[in-house]
Amino acid sequence: MDLSVNGQTRTVADAAVDPSMPLLWVLRDVLNLTGTKFGCGVAACGACTVHLDGQAVRSCVTPLASAVGKPVRTIEALGTAEQPHALQKAWIAHQVPQCGYCQSGVLMAAAGLLAKNRDPSDADIDAAITNICRCGTYPRIREAIKTAAKALRGGDTGASPRAAAAA
Amino acid sequence: MKRRSMLLLGAGAAGALVVGWGVLPPRSRQGRADTLPGVDGEVGLNGWIKITADGKVLLAMHRSEMGQGVHTALAMLVAEELDVSLAKVRLVQAGRDTLYGNVAGFVAALPLHPGDMEPGHETRGVKAGRWIVSKFARELGINMTGGSSSVADAWDVLRLAGATARTQLLGAASLQWKLPLAELVVADGVISHPSGPTGHYGEFAKAAAVTPASTIAVKEAKDWKLIGKPVPRIDLVAKTNGSAGFGIDVRLPGMVYAVVRHCPMLGGSFGRIDSDAAMKLPGVERVVRLGPYAGSTDGVAVVGRSSWHAKQGAQALDIEWRAPPAGVLDSRQIAAALEATARQAAATQGGFAFHAAGDVQAASAAAARRIEAVYHAPYLAHAAMEPINCTAQVKDGKVEVWAPTQLPGMALALAARTAGVSEDAVTLHVTYLGGGFGRRLDIDFVGQAVRIALETNGRPVQLLWPREEDITHDFYRPAGAAVMQASIDAQGAVTSLAITSAGDAVTPRWMERGLPALAGPVDLPDKTASEGLFDLPYGIANQRIAHAATHSGVPVGFWRSVGHSHNAFFSECFIDELAFETQKDPVAFRLSLLADMPRHAAVLKLAADKSGWGKPLPAGRARGVALHESFGSIVAEVVEVSLADGRPVVHRVVCAADVGTVVNPAIVAQQMESAVIFGLSAALYGRIDIVGGVVQQTNFPNHPVLKLADAPRVIETHLIASSNPPGGVGEPGTPPIAPAVANALFVLTGKRVRGLPLVV
Repeated sequence: MDLSVNGQTRTVADAAVDPSMPLLWVLRDVLNLTGTKFGCGVAACGACTVHLDGQAVRSCVTPLASAVGKPVRTIEALGTAEQPHALQKAWIAHQVPQCGYCQSGVLMAAAGLLAKNRDPSDADIDAAITNICRCGTYPRIREAIKTAAKALRGGDTGASPRAAAAA
Repeated sequence: MKRRSMLLLGAGAAGALVVGWGVLPPRSRQGRADTLPGVDGEVGLNGWIKITADGKVLLAMHRSEMGQGVHTALAMLVAEELDVSLAKVRLVQAGRDTLYGNVAGFVAALPLHPGDMEPGHETRGVKAGRWIVSKFARELGINMTGGSSSVADAWDVLRLAGATARTQLLGAASLQWKLPLAELVVADGVISHPSGPTGHYGEFAKAAAVTPASTIAVKEAKDWKLIGKPVPRIDLVAKTNGSAGFGIDVRLPGMVYAVVRHCPMLGGSFGRIDSDAAMKLPGVERVVRLGPYAGSTDGVAVVGRSSWHAKQGAQALDIEWRAPPAGVLDSRQIAAALEATARQAAATQGGFAFHAAGDVQAASAAAARRIEAVYHAPYLAHAAMEPINCTAQVKDGKVEVWAPTQLPGMALALAARTAGVSEDAVTLHVTYLGGGFGRRLDIDFVGQAVRIALETNGRPVQLLWPREEDITHDFYRPAGAAVMQASIDAQGAVTSLAITSAGDAVTPRWMERGLPALAGPVDLPDKTASEGLFDLPYGIANQRIAHAATHSGVPVGFWRSVGHSHNAFFSECFIDELAFETQKDPVAFRLSLLADMPRHAAVLKLAADKSGWGKPLPAGRARGVALHESFGSIVAEVVEVSLADGRPVVHRVVCAADVGTVVNPAIVAQQMESAVIFGLSAALYGRIDIVGGVVQQTNFPNHPVLKLADAPRVIETHLIASSNPPGGVGEPGTPPIAPAVANALFVLTGKRVRGLPLVV
């Protein structure tokens, strides 16, 4: 089975997986892309959020079969060390993460929002970011999204050309 | 040799002069040059600091980073003393030496009253008690990240280690250059002399290791370049690109995965387990019975090719459940029993009195009015975002463990016992923790992982608890009940306060699990059961604050702010009740009782001032206030609350805090926000119900927590400038939030809510 992950074709041995296996576990346990997190297994917390065909989805309930043939983008390709995504820069500027476990999912959900909406209102952010963070980074997440949106409106690239190609 | 000994003695005397009365434990925790073995040209200078050949500073990191910013804060302490930028400090895993044990965290277990331990004015009894416990804790050497104690514990130790290393490095340069040490300057780890010579720390490290320190002096506050500044955290790049390594992210060649399933009934066990269907599933390779951890609930694990395969296997097990012989637990019955116990103890002056002053009964008899209220709090789960997990490998008589744990030493010991090897045969790596909140002060999952690894033929195995196992088999914050009684005289003054609480004591249960050798046959009074009640700052002449310890059978553990988490709700709501009963403003009423506690009064005034207390609010909004000291820090919170469809909405939270010396104000603010939101989840939604022995909440859909849309838009933190030693930061913001919100709800509705979660 071939998957397109972060701009690369990754071949997954049929014997290693099952078509109903959630994409989350294929990413984490088969491809060792551990940036995407397991939090609840029932699409309630958003820690597993990745982009599938440009849309933010919860990979813990996304069967592998439905991801085949569509580009998958994970936190590992949101930006690069040389050219971080505007959200990653804003996350550092606002000192958002604490334990950091939920942040991959929050960043991918926020990137999904900003890809469609470069000037999100508070209500837009409320609706798009339904992820759970037990450290309580929510007020900083809100402000960091606004900062990143402003940077993107001002011409900052959302991602490096390499990361953009991955999407 | 003689000269060296003399110099070391001299160094000790100088250190003692500089650091003062508390020097003995810090100096005994410096270690030797060989405590931290150097590799690849690194040179160890003491048990904390190594210098690399290119002049970087390696710090032995003994505390677990679980979001509280401790890696950054501790690195700042040594960077400050060594005069290097934070970028020059790298962390290495601390070993098993007892010098990494937590002294401050254990000293905090003493049931001391705030009136007796005002910094700089501690009573003799307080000093003696702290000295004895600190000696004992130093001997025990338990490496524990908890109790908001890390910075307080490291404050003298790490600054002394940094200052000593700096003096040795400068001494080496001084000898080599034959220039007076006092004329040398350091900038970002580069030593120089105005006459020209210059060299980085790496060039002097070898000589420094054999150069005794002469006069050691930690910096004075006026010379700090890092301490007190909002320095960016050192872990955030990794936490924004997916590369931060949590326990669940460990990946090793040949690794297999295991998923656990416990008997749904707390304390229950298994009869027959039919694993035929599970073993027929692809990717499932074996079933391992785990046995109950420390007398709790029995568990079984299924090993598979991935966590998903293992989980499929675990779900396919056909298991015969067995109820615990003592009968099944029921949280409603327990709540009723707690109230009955508290009422009985209140009526008979029973329970253990953690604080008694004056004569409550005489004051009550002479009172014009008596106020009584009964408060309740439920069991709570931790629900850290990283589900419980641990990775272990048992091969050729050696054990290697990768664990997100707050208790690495005890985890290592348990791994050794489980595998039947000596502790020397175990290597334990502490990963990042995806939240701890006290859940990872229990190490049950480490024993389980090693137990499974004994059966995976030398291959590493990663154990995972699905979220449902986490919520239904936690070590819960104990439920509690409290009878609150006050007397008011004819002039409207509060003359007595009696609080009689009931609930399970956490510490003795935790000791039974983790340190059975130290757990006696009889429970000693546990300060954590009454903290936040017996240690109130209010000047009420007659007090009796007692706790009746119960033994419900529900597994209980430490939960962010422990006893304060519910006791502050009881005490600060009741204080608010007394304010309204005596027709006084809640802030003014508290201040009238704080005449002898100026630090508490200052914090409350700051919160009132910054929140605009007393100023008009939009219609439908009300303010509530709470003030609480915990973990050596005082926090006041003022909230603005409204009701939307009968549900409380918290718009703004103003925190004022005296946390002693502030190491990093940005992290303090972050932790106040964190503590407020964590406490708000509990205040608005948190409950664990047990029916027929089974926990009813299972996952986030039926165990809701606060989300972004519901979080306060504004959480402000205002800090009091202080030169006292640092207090705690991770927990003290949690206790005041529930009572502050409840007190605001009273203003909105005129109705007192005396139980959690807050249902209007």
